[in-house]
Amino acid sequence: MSGQRGVTIVTSKESELQLVERCRRGELGAFEELYRQHSGRLFSLAVRMLGNPADAEDMLQEIFLSAHRKLESFRGEAALGTWLYRLAMNQILDHVRSRAARTGQLTDGLDDATLLADASGHRLADRAIDRIDLERALAELPEGCRAAFLLHDVEGLEHREVSEVLGIAEGTSKSQVHKARLRLRGLLRGKEGVSGKR
Amino acid sequence: MNCSQYLNSIHEAVDGTIGSIRRAELEMHLDQCADCRALRDDLQRIHDAAAALPALEAPPRAWLQIAGRLRQEGRIREEAPVARSRHGYVAWLAAAAAVIIAIASAVTLLAPKPVTVPPTGQTTPPAVSTGNAVDGKSVETVQNEVDVAQQQFEKAIADLEKVAKANQQALDPGTSATIEKNLGIIDQAIAENRIAVKSEPASVAARETLFEALRQKVSLLQDTIALINEMRKGNNAAAAQLVNKS
Repeated sequence: MSGQRGVTIVTSKESELQLVERCRRGELGAFEELYRQHSGRLFSLAVRMLGNPADAEDMLQEIFLSAHRKLESFRGEAALGTWLYRLAMNQILDHVRSRAARTGQLTDGLDDATLLADASGHRLADRAIDRIDLERALAELPEGCRAAFLLHDVEGLEHREVSEVLGIAEGTSKSQVHKARLRLRGLLRGKEGVSGKR
Repeated sequence: MNCSQYLNSIHEAVDGTIGSIRRAELEMHLDQCADCRALRDDLQRIHDAAAALPALEAPPRAWLQIAGRLRQEGRIREEAPVARSRHGYVAWLAAAAAVIIAIASAVTLLAPKPVTVPPTGQTTPPAVSTGNAVDGKSVETVQNEVDVAQQQFEKAIADLEKVAKANQQALDPGTSATIEKNLGIIDQAIAENRIAVKSEPASVAARETLFEALRQKVSLLQDTIALINEMRKGNNAAAAQLVNKS
């Protein structure tokens, strides 16, 4: 995986497979090592996808318990990190969609008119983008493009890797990330309340 | 001029993946189009701000709960006592000693009355103080020493709990409830790990997980006492920092 942020993990394919093998044998210490390497990024992803740390903590447990059960099927074709991201994202998106279905919220889709307005209009105020504003704007994105944006722009995955994780075409990953950026621009401008002209 | 034909190029420029010819074309367009220049600048800033978002850390109890569930599901093969005994044993004893020292300072800070805290020496069995670790010891000997260390932890926790409870009125009900809830979660983890240690006394991993849970409890109680101190001093900023930390 390229461009990973946070803790930089340098793991060779061989050492990754050895760690997985130890986990398969039921070594708790090995699984804890795997958890320490990957939990931060998966937790960050879960918080930003689910919108609150409590749900994210429950989700993190489910992700790692599921990972432990499914390690048998890990063949090492993809990096372990990518495999875990895929597993995590499947569970997170299932959760988000079933929650949306329960509450009757429609979360998918950005119409062209909205995106056109986001691409045009005045520029963002000339100051650093506030982290809290950005987190809030992220929470308003539809889950599909939020997932792609988080993986690409926040976590630093390449579009090829995002497409692997989300099971979509590389072109779709690009399109989702581009839509997300445009929508974020519109949302951040809305939060500034600055008027202007493009 | 049709700006929409440059939209993809702008995104690729932000990604740093645009080729040199298209970059040159885009730059020519940006030189003449303030709107697209503003768009490129904004998207670049959004991209950079996103990349700078901090990684969030899962609470330590998350791992304890995962480890507990894996044990419950019987998915963990306990390691032989000799496999990691030396390293693991020394590590937790060192941590235990450090914790007791830390407890002593936390308690001294708050409590006007002397509180009985186990002396550091009592937590360090002779074998460790001579640097001999556990090599050559029987499982029973190791078990006895583990019991002693566990009692020290429990005694220290009881002392801390006493101090925290006696001064809890300094906290607002919401914070108090959150602390109680977190203590409950840790207590549950401790109880589950005690069962694991009881059923497999030779397991180093089980002991380490139990001691990790006990350390968590000590840490939370220490934070609670620190919070009470700051609230009493009227230092809201420091109190807020502690709340955010926990």
